Amino acid sequence: MDDKNISAAQKVTVYIDNIAYQVSKENNLLAGVLSQKLNLPYFCWHPSMGSVGACRQCAVTQYQDENDTRGRLVMACMTSVSDGMRISLQDKDSAKFREQVIGAMMTNHPHDCPVCAEGGECHLQDMTVMTGHSVRDYQGTKRTFNNQYLGELVGHEMNRCITCYRCTRFYNDYAGGKDFGVYGSKNQVYFGRQKDGTLASEFSGNLVEVCPTGVFTNKVFSAHYTRKWDLQSAPSVCAHCSVGCNTSIGERYGSVRRVMNRYNYDLNGYFLCDRGRYGIGFVNSAQRIKKAQGINQTSPEKLTRLDVSRALAHFRDKRFIGIGSARASLEANFYLKQIVGEDNFSAGYNRQQMAVAKEYQQLLSDNFIDDKMLSLREIEQCDFILLVGEDLTKTSPRIALALRQACRNSGIEKAASMGVASWQDSAVRTISGKRNSPFFAMQPMATKLDELTEQCLLLAPDDIEQVMLALTTVLCLTDNEKSNYFHQEEWQAFTFEQQSFINKVISALATAKKPLIVTGDSLLSAKILLATNKLMACLKNQATPSKVNLVVLPSASNSIGLLSLIDEKSISSEQVLAKVSTKTVAGLICLEQELTVYTNEQLTLLREHAEVIIVLDHSESRVSQLADIVLPAAAISEGNGHFVNYQGRIQRFSQVHAAALPILDSWKWLSYIEKALDFSISNQATLQRKKAKPKENLAELHDYFSENFTLWPTLKDEQLEQKFVARMTKRASGRTSQSANFSVHEAKVVEDKDQHYRFSMEGNKPNAVKNMPFTWAPGWNSNQSINHHQVEIQGQLSHYSDDVYVSFNFTRESDKNVAVNDDTLAAVITDLTAKKTLTYFPQGCLFQGEWQSALTAEFQLLAHSLEKNPTLYLSTEFVESQGWEPGQWLNVSADNKSCFAQLKCNNELPQYLVYGNINDFVDHKSGLSIKLTEVSEADVIQYQKNRQTHYQHLKVIQQNTLKQLKISDQHIPIRFVAGGLDDA
Amino acid sequence: MIEIIRPLTQLVNLQSPLSLNDYISEGGYQGASKALHDYSPKQVLDLVGDSGLKGRGGAGFPTGMKWSCVPMFEADDDNAPAFKYLVANADEMEPGTFKDRYLLEGAPHQLVEAMIIAAYTIAANRGYIFLRGEYHLAGKRLQQAINEAYQQNWLGKNIQGTNFSFDLYVHTSAGRYICGEETALINALEGRRANPRAKPPFPQISGLFGQPTVVNNVETLCNLPHIVKQGADWFKALSPNSDSGTKIYAACGRVKSPGLWELPMGTTIREILYQHAGGMAGGFKLRGLLPGGASTDFLLPEHLDTPMDFDSIAKVGSRLGTGGLIVLDDKNCPVAMVLNLMRFFAQESCGFCTPCRDGTPWAVEVLTRIEQGTGRKEDLDTLYNLCDFMWLGKTHCALAPGAVEPLKSALRYFSDEFEQHIDNGCCSYQQDNIVNKSLTLQSSQGGAVHG
Repeated sequence: MDDKNISAAQKVTVYIDNIAYQVSKENNLLAGVLSQKLNLPYFCWHPSMGSVGACRQCAVTQYQDENDTRGRLVMACMTSVSDGMRISLQDKDSAKFREQVIGAMMTNHPHDCPVCAEGGECHLQDMTVMTGHSVRDYQGTKRTFNNQYLGELVGHEMNRCITCYRCTRFYNDYAGGKDFGVYGSKNQVYFGRQKDGTLASEFSGNLVEVCPTGVFTNKVFSAHYTRKWDLQSAPSVCAHCSVGCNTSIGERYGSVRRVMNRYNYDLNGYFLCDRGRYGIGFVNSAQRIKKAQGINQTSPEKLTRLDVSRALAHFRDKRFIGIGSARASLEANFYLKQIVGEDNFSAGYNRQQMAVAKEYQQLLSDNFIDDKMLSLREIEQCDFILLVGEDLTKTSPRIALALRQACRNSGIEKAASMGVASWQDSAVRTISGKRNSPFFAMQPMATKLDELTEQCLLLAPDDIEQVMLALTTVLCLTDNEKSNYFHQEEWQAFTFEQQSFINKVISALATAKKPLIVTGDSLLSAKILLATNKLMACLKNQATPSKVNLVVLPSASNSIGLLSLIDEKSISSEQVLAKVSTKTVAGLICLEQELTVYTNEQLTLLREHAEVIIVLDHSESRVSQLADIVLPAAAISEGNGHFVNYQGRIQRFSQVHAAALPILDSWKWLSYIEKALDFSISNQATLQRKKAKPKENLAELHDYFSENFTLWPTLKDEQLEQKFVARMTKRASGRTSQSANFSVHEAKVVEDKDQHYRFSMEGNKPNAVKNMPFTWAPGWNSNQSINHHQVEIQGQLSHYSDDVYVSFNFTRESDKNVAVNDDTLAAVITDLTAKKTLTYFPQGCLFQGEWQSALTAEFQLLAHSLEKNPTLYLSTEFVESQGWEPGQWLNVSADNKSCFAQLKCNNELPQYLVYGNINDFVDHKSGLSIKLTEVSEADVIQYQKNRQTHYQHLKVIQQNTLKQLKISDQHIPIRFVAGGLDDA
Repeated sequence: MIEIIRPLTQLVNLQSPLSLNDYISEGGYQGASKALHDYSPKQVLDLVGDSGLKGRGGAGFPTGMKWSCVPMFEADDDNAPAFKYLVANADEMEPGTFKDRYLLEGAPHQLVEAMIIAAYTIAANRGYIFLRGEYHLAGKRLQQAINEAYQQNWLGKNIQGTNFSFDLYVHTSAGRYICGEETALINALEGRRANPRAKPPFPQISGLFGQPTVVNNVETLCNLPHIVKQGADWFKALSPNSDSGTKIYAACGRVKSPGLWELPMGTTIREILYQHAGGMAGGFKLRGLLPGGASTDFLLPEHLDTPMDFDSIAKVGSRLGTGGLIVLDDKNCPVAMVLNLMRFFAQESCGFCTPCRDGTPWAVEVLTRIEQGTGRKEDLDTLYNLCDFMWLGKTHCALAPGAVEPLKSALRYFSDEFEQHIDNGCCSYQQDNIVNKSLTLQSSQGGAVHG
């Protein structure tokens, strides 16, 4: 079931109600039946989590042969598929039993569908209808539970529980959560936490989709609720990390309501992380930029193209620096670079980051010219993991979840040797016992994945590099050379733990069938990337039994897209400052760029020297506050474009709804700017004096690029000749009357100039295209209807077509790579290895780690939650040397900032390494030098009071944001033509 | 009449069980010694197989066959697991059953010796006695026996100079009926929720902490020293019947002298009830009985001459179960008795699978209304439906089918009682004698009453 196309050889004939079907042998009978698009109800089974046989809902009758008329009842999810097997779904016995199961569940399920947030997309509703249960036989009372506060994201209504155990199987077994469980027994089984409190897992939001009914609901969605059938949805890509999980964003009355998982075979499968699911809140935040600033409008009503041209006319023919961004679309970045020219293009990276980018490019060109980087699904199949310098649970949570699954492969293999298939979840877990695939990790801070590792080293980035280099050296040695080397000083310099780490990695590597090395750039260490490259080079020459895979993870949704645009001429943030200071350029265009690389002083300097700063962004930042001209850019749900994920996979995000003007896609603004400024770029002959016509849609933009630039990947809209697909469900109500409080005339359907999704319920079914706006099938109203749109359960979508990848061939004619100033590397090194000062590494925060999602009101609350104190972990040795006690408060200061944190000890830490979760250090820089001083009790009390006040303040912001959204529901800030400024 | 040989109970002393030395001087540990010194594990396995010993916990699965599934490894086999486990299932919670308690409290060394033999046979190096939490005295005595056995090298490393090492621990249960199910027991022992596991894998292949594990009932195990000492033929000859050995039978309810007796396998119900339990107490008439604990079908006075062995009881539509008779008399309400049992099963459902979790409380709800006199005619259909709903093959483990057995058979044998309750709108027994009813409820809860 893991292969893209199950070959005919693996399929066998199964007779279902006397009709022959070709069914895969790799999965269980339930999956086999569902793969034929037949309706068989189920609850506890989940395609990704396998079978346990708890709900007994998927019972079918199995017959020995065609003469057997009695048959016997089997649970389809617990039954293997065998050739020639005969089953019936329609026979009286199994049909009656399935109805009885629902009847039994209904003895305690409340009749609250009309007020339940799950109503209309409830798997329990669907299954109840499917079994035909309609009359209640049970006369008794129903059990009641107390519900819990599970944080700002997930709502809890235990009375609705039908005890399918999916939640705990996901939260505890699949995602490794610790603060959730099953309590009680008989028909009083309780799923929740030991006491009220925020769910600690990064994946808690999946409970909403995993729960077949309304026990776990999306709290943010419920607060500003609409029925599923009233949502307008479009296929999107998560904007909050580099994995590129596919999402479906739902909107109504001009505000984004929620994000749901959009099944992708290669990437996210069935699950998203909480940042991906709830981070969309930034679109509705109070910090949104909705009006253009610094432009005189001729009409107060609306901004015209003429207004923009006039405002920019003054700067005609002048040179600009363009600063792109890893969160802006590939189109916008590409366009910006073409407009300003390659020697005026910056990624907004400082020298250190440019050095990292250079090594990153080198690593990619050396290893991925012919091969693609592993997809998330392929990562799940690996059986050896070396994780270098990343806390994936905070940077790319979905990859962390995939590694968790990869760790199970050793147990799955053992089960397979005993004839137990991988879908037999509880059996496999029984057989696995405590078995884990070999997993090794090195990073400066403790992470949630450490518990899975065979060995984990807490090390500063430079020491990680050293261990990597030694690992490479030892790998290349013969046995004789090894014993020599082990006596050398170089080897002796390593601690015993480090030595045994290296040896264990090498011996585990030797037997691994699909080994994987994972690293990333979150420590901003070019040296680690360089060392990784050396290791990979060494492994390539080694006669290792299996090819070693490498996965490198950048930080942002379009980091790789941006990286693909960085070349030897691209300038660093320091060079930007120099160019502006020397007045080589007139000003700056900041594309969705908040410029966190600059200190406040640098930013002031920039402001002083720049003639004009133009900012294109969707939310206010400290840069937009300094800007002369601010143009409101479309947020992810309001625009079109592409992101490039960590593998180089180019993925399209589509407009969900047309935001009120003048909010436009960044690339559309850039086309106006190009026109207004009439750039002439000497070294870009192709663009010279080309009177460019503003691009009104992506297709025009792509045509324009592909005419001019051979590097541009061919990004054709999928099946353009196809009929239009509706963004709304067939049952969407009220579109024609949504403006009735202003006018009873039916509003015109918004025209979409960009793609073939319609802003209405008219058009093809959602599954007519690969990128489905939402998922639905007859009788299946929940997200589990995805079963009907896959070739096989858990397989490719029916309308599959290969994705396009960017080329990782970064070798260039001149210096072949990014020009890095001589001393850049050295500077980075000295910075991090100033061993005599305490160096702080943030543990990372799911809710603050990415700039856009951090603007979400709920994330602000969670990041400043009062449930946990900010904590700082120091080595026991150091704490004792200072005479401090664990639990005491300290003042932590760095970079002119200071805050309080509670002290804790970690025996594994080297003396000068410090990590913690101080969310006040918002920029989350790695490798900060910090100073610690003791504080008085009174100060701590005051500090805690301030925290409480701040929390209350954030709570008010959350409530006001919600209030505002409900008010604007009355005004419906949408527009009717999704084109450019003067269309409306 | 020939004298009955009672190997299991001959050394039982409830007041003060034999110490290790006394036990040895009475012939104890000879079986273990013989197994360790004279037999290979395979020979013991064959011996137990030949003896025809069947599990005494209720299912009656041949012990030799169960053991033969345990993978055996050569000493230098790299694939050999670090641990193999033997678990004594002493979580005796079946209503009306108290035989294991008798053995545990009265002859703890017999179990220790038995576990040495069993562990040797399957090459287990660690054993647990999973003991019902309420059996405080048994716990204390077992621990004492284990301590003595360690002191004299009957447990620990290289037992009695052989290469065989075995550690034994007492684990007291936190108390759920479902822990008597072997895979639920294993989960509980691992510190997890006591839900039965999916099978396969069977515990013999992958049980406690994923390692090969054998779980045997206390009474089953206690037969081993005698089988090894006296041979398979001797054991077979203990019973006139096709099932070998002796069985500890018990009787409770309105009989003259409730208690338990070790008798040849296949003794008739009549003999147990009238010869050993002294017949019905004064003024009470036999109405029916559950032959082997709460989760077996009712039998009627017409079945009194059925031999109490696995096959014969099955033939008349019930199960031998634990061999603990629960007697229903004519002064107590059969509906109330079934309700009481169903309450127990509903309470003890682990909550894993739907038919058991939601079906048993539903049956309780219906039975309660019938017993209270507010039942309707349709309720009987609901009960029949529920019996069907919770029957074998539809549930995750045997708890719910076990709960169905008394209900289903009561519906068959005492249907007139159910109908009268509904027609008359009341329970006639309740009006007659409230005191008697509460007594029956108590006595059918098993553990509280013993001989």
